[in-house]
Amino acid sequence: MSTQITTTPSATATDAVVVATDLSKIYGEGDSEVRALDGVSVSFPKGQLAAVMGPSGSGKSTLMHILAGLDQPTSGSVLVDGTELAGLNDQKLTLLRRDKIGFVFQFFNLLPMLTAKENIELPMKIAGTTPDAEWEATLVEATGLGTRLTHKPAELSGGQQQRVAVARALLSKPAVIFGDEPTGNLDSKTSGEVLDLLRRAVDEFGQTVIMVTHDASAAAIADRTLFLRDGKIVRDAGHLSAGEILDTIKTLE
Amino acid sequence: MIGLVLRGLSTRKLRSALTAIAILLGVTMISGTLVLTDQIDRAFVQIFQQGNAKIEVVVKPKPPFQDDQTEVYLNADLITAVRAAEGVQLAEPYIQVQGYVIVDGKAMDQTGGAPSFVFSSVPEALNPYTPISGRLPTASGEIAIATEIAEKSKAKVGDAVTLATQDGIKPVTIVGIVQYGDGSTSLGGSTSVLSPLIDVQNWWSLQGKASYLYAKANEGVSAEQLKANVRAALPQNDVIVQTGKENADEQASILNNLIGKIIRYALLAFAGVAVLVGAFIIYNTFSITVAQRTREFAMLRTIGASRRQILGTVVGEAFIIGLVASLVGLGLGLVFAWGLNKLFGAIGFGLPATGLILSWQAVAVSLVVGVGITVLASIFPALRATKIAPIAALREGVTLPVGRLQKLTPVIAIVIAALGATGMVFGLASDADTTSRLLTLAGGAILIFVAVAMLARFIVRPVVGVLSVPITKAAGGVGRLASENAARNPARTAVTAAALMIGIGLVVFVTIFVGGLRESFTGAIDTSLKSDVTVTARGFGGSLPVGVLDAVTAVPGVETASPVGGTAVQVDAQTLALIGVDSATITNVYSFDWNSGSDASVQGLGADKALVEDTIATSLKVQPGDAIKVQSINGASATFTVAGTYTDPTILNGIVVDQAALKPLLQSNATGLNTVFVNEALGANPDIVQAALEAALTDYPTAKVQSNAQQKEQVASSVNTILVIFYALLALSVVISLFGIVNTLVLSIFERTREIGMLRSVGTTRRQMRAMIRWEAVITSIIGGVLGVLLGIMFGWAVCKGLESEGLAFVFPTVQIVIFLVLSIVAGIVAAILPARRAAKLDVLEALQYE
Repeated sequence: MSTQITTTPSATATDAVVVATDLSKIYGEGDSEVRALDGVSVSFPKGQLAAVMGPSGSGKSTLMHILAGLDQPTSGSVLVDGTELAGLNDQKLTLLRRDKIGFVFQFFNLLPMLTAKENIELPMKIAGTTPDAEWEATLVEATGLGTRLTHKPAELSGGQQQRVAVARALLSKPAVIFGDEPTGNLDSKTSGEVLDLLRRAVDEFGQTVIMVTHDASAAAIADRTLFLRDGKIVRDAGHLSAGEILDTIKTLE
Repeated sequence: MIGLVLRGLSTRKLRSALTAIAILLGVTMISGTLVLTDQIDRAFVQIFQQGNAKIEVVVKPKPPFQDDQTEVYLNADLITAVRAAEGVQLAEPYIQVQGYVIVDGKAMDQTGGAPSFVFSSVPEALNPYTPISGRLPTASGEIAIATEIAEKSKAKVGDAVTLATQDGIKPVTIVGIVQYGDGSTSLGGSTSVLSPLIDVQNWWSLQGKASYLYAKANEGVSAEQLKANVRAALPQNDVIVQTGKENADEQASILNNLIGKIIRYALLAFAGVAVLVGAFIIYNTFSITVAQRTREFAMLRTIGASRRQILGTVVGEAFIIGLVASLVGLGLGLVFAWGLNKLFGAIGFGLPATGLILSWQAVAVSLVVGVGITVLASIFPALRATKIAPIAALREGVTLPVGRLQKLTPVIAIVIAALGATGMVFGLASDADTTSRLLTLAGGAILIFVAVAMLARFIVRPVVGVLSVPITKAAGGVGRLASENAARNPARTAVTAAALMIGIGLVVFVTIFVGGLRESFTGAIDTSLKSDVTVTARGFGGSLPVGVLDAVTAVPGVETASPVGGTAVQVDAQTLALIGVDSATITNVYSFDWNSGSDASVQGLGADKALVEDTIATSLKVQPGDAIKVQSINGASATFTVAGTYTDPTILNGIVVDQAALKPLLQSNATGLNTVFVNEALGANPDIVQAALEAALTDYPTAKVQSNAQQKEQVASSVNTILVIFYALLALSVVISLFGIVNTLVLSIFERTREIGMLRSVGTTRRQMRAMIRWEAVITSIIGGVLGVLLGIMFGWAVCKGLESEGLAFVFPTVQIVIFLVLSIVAGIVAAILPARRAAKLDVLEALQYE
């Protein structure tokens, strides 16, 4: 795990990969109105590993879904690598996700009939582009999956499967990778492997990673930790230790 | 448990509906067939009841044997004895023959299946026809026409028209327009003309003859009493005496056996195919849903449901789906019957019909088959559901346990295939009666279909391996994914494809079979006929007026005109055709394919020698030199010595004798002439000769002049009509199998929801998603199409080889097979429309969070 302590919560808009301005997401109307997001403004600079935390219903998942172009805000703006998401149709959003965004899911979401290597290459194959062989080799090396590449997901451990998923997200060198509880379905040992890989992606390859998690030890590897409650950012801190994170969470509940 | 079943069905509406459609269409066809044939049956009964309504007693000829194609006649003089019998109020001879009116040069005849009748007009007190304008014809030269003809031709009472008869065309005047019975029954496509007895006798060479003698009883004399009186007044052995009711029942049952039953069994066979295809789909759907509900069943088991109850849930679901589908199918069957009746009419096979009737038998059969097949097809999947252990509820990603039977699948499939092949060989080669041969043949084919469906799972992966190369080239990454998806669950893909395989297989089979039939006719024209033009009689079983031969011979440019005639005879209780040829000229126009004998044997036929077609010789077990005793339908008999045998299952298929020897065996009205083979003189212009022939025969409208090419065209066109009917009936099975593909895709998409969410989130566009599903469907339909084509060719080849002696030739239908393969691909694309749309429309976020 990295020991680097650099806090850059106030990155300038120019080098920010993801910029959200005054995001609101409202479900329902009148009495039953629920504000999942209530005027959130935040930006994520290139090369930062950010963790988004908060209790259930705080809006952290909604925030990530909107930033990743999977959901539409009720109001506000999102820029991903300079592209405004508001007003993009499904086709354009899909292509944006394909070209600029990588995903790591809680349940890995690998295709059971494809080998590890094929799963890694899947998004690029769908895009009809050829992966950069050298880069792929570097990734395989980094993930430590060299001997498991021809195996199907069912023959891999959870940690290995999630490392395949991380490699899949990294292969197209997206502007940003979103992680949705990437360790939520792993034990502590295998989570370590995956977190390590994410950390290296940022440190060694300059990747930008934003992950939603409620695992304090996962958030503890981040360069920056955001806390949400009731659809608002209540704390935007730099790197925090697991203990500090747990303390903050206690104050939120 | 019932509540649970209903709840389950209502939450899975689309799936339940698609499953129901699979069986619904088959039931529609069954109930439609039963409704239609009941209609036809009842129409025949009504027609003959009305025909006999005014008559107490009918006297009929008693031929030595019955032949569908041959009308027999009795001596009209017997009427004197009938009239003298006690209790007879009125008695009249009556004749029916084939002929038609010509109005403004247009023949008002029936060229399709139904006959064109001319009836002798009997007094109104006996006549089933009543004038709705004018009167019944009484004097020579008068006719009445039925309302159908009047409507079609716009002819009115008082119009001068002509009547096409055995003796050429005769000028007549319409004196009445008549309606059959109470006008409630459609006579199908048949046409009827009434003409006085004397004219019919003279113009059809039936002087002194009658078809029936009709008698009406005095007041107070019962039909039975009158029958006894008439019977006593007539010679014992020459005639049959029946009451009007007995006659109506017999006539209806004869026609019903000839038409109604054949249509019923033929259509039910196609309905059976549709039900079989439906059964495959139901089996597959239940297999998939049971697998998907593994955790649900395990949970039910943990909270105390017994295996029986699990079985009950699945089978109960099948029962309800089957019941609802059968009820809807039953209703749609009425529409189907109506449409089919219209279709038959449109293609020239108009059938008589009455209003729609839904008999309780039709209801019972439809429900029993529909519900029975659905429940039966669900039993294997239901049994597998009972094997799920309660612990499965607690585990992630549990799959269904593999049953013992499943491991034995290849062995069982091979045993079934062997049984099927044995059935087919028996069906083709045995000496048993036609019905049992056809049934074993069909049973064998079904077993082979089932066996191939069971084995198909083993070829899914290799076939997909081959297909994935071009598909990946065409569609890129999603093409590759589609291939992987299709191969993911080979059993599922295999059964889905197998449903299509049955339809396509039968389409290919009928194409080959009917092509073989066509080839047997056209091939025979090419190889056997040396003649250039053939003159035949229009309509079936008709004979040509004697004058035709002289008219043809006199045409300039005609080198040889060789007459051929015939009659039905029996030899050793087998009904055969006795063919009379002109032994001096037949070898100039016809080439015998000799097995023993030579053209010299024809010249030496004389009065007591015969040539026998090879298949007939085999079945009669006769060889050259043997004697055969021939019993004619007119009562006479003769003995011939076999002078040679030849092969020709098509043109001269029977026993060939000299026309002089045929004469004494003919019925009184038969001219002994039904075909004239014409050879043109060397250097004559065929078009000019044919035109001259047609001109020479204008007085004989029943004669038809055709070149060899025209004959082949006629064969081809009637064969095409048959093919169109077969294709239309099989199309339903193909449509059902498409629902199978839709169903499997919808279920697979449902189970892959999260996967689809992932694919969409990492940048798969909606268009790509649709393409993926479409290719998945196409792969399935290609597998089904290829298997179907292979099995179809195999069945076609086997049947053509088996029936080679009947003249059936195997012709490989290359073009059609290419078309069928393209159509199966199209079928896959069509089947994918709905599922592809569903997959593309899935909300990415919801799909990702789907459990």
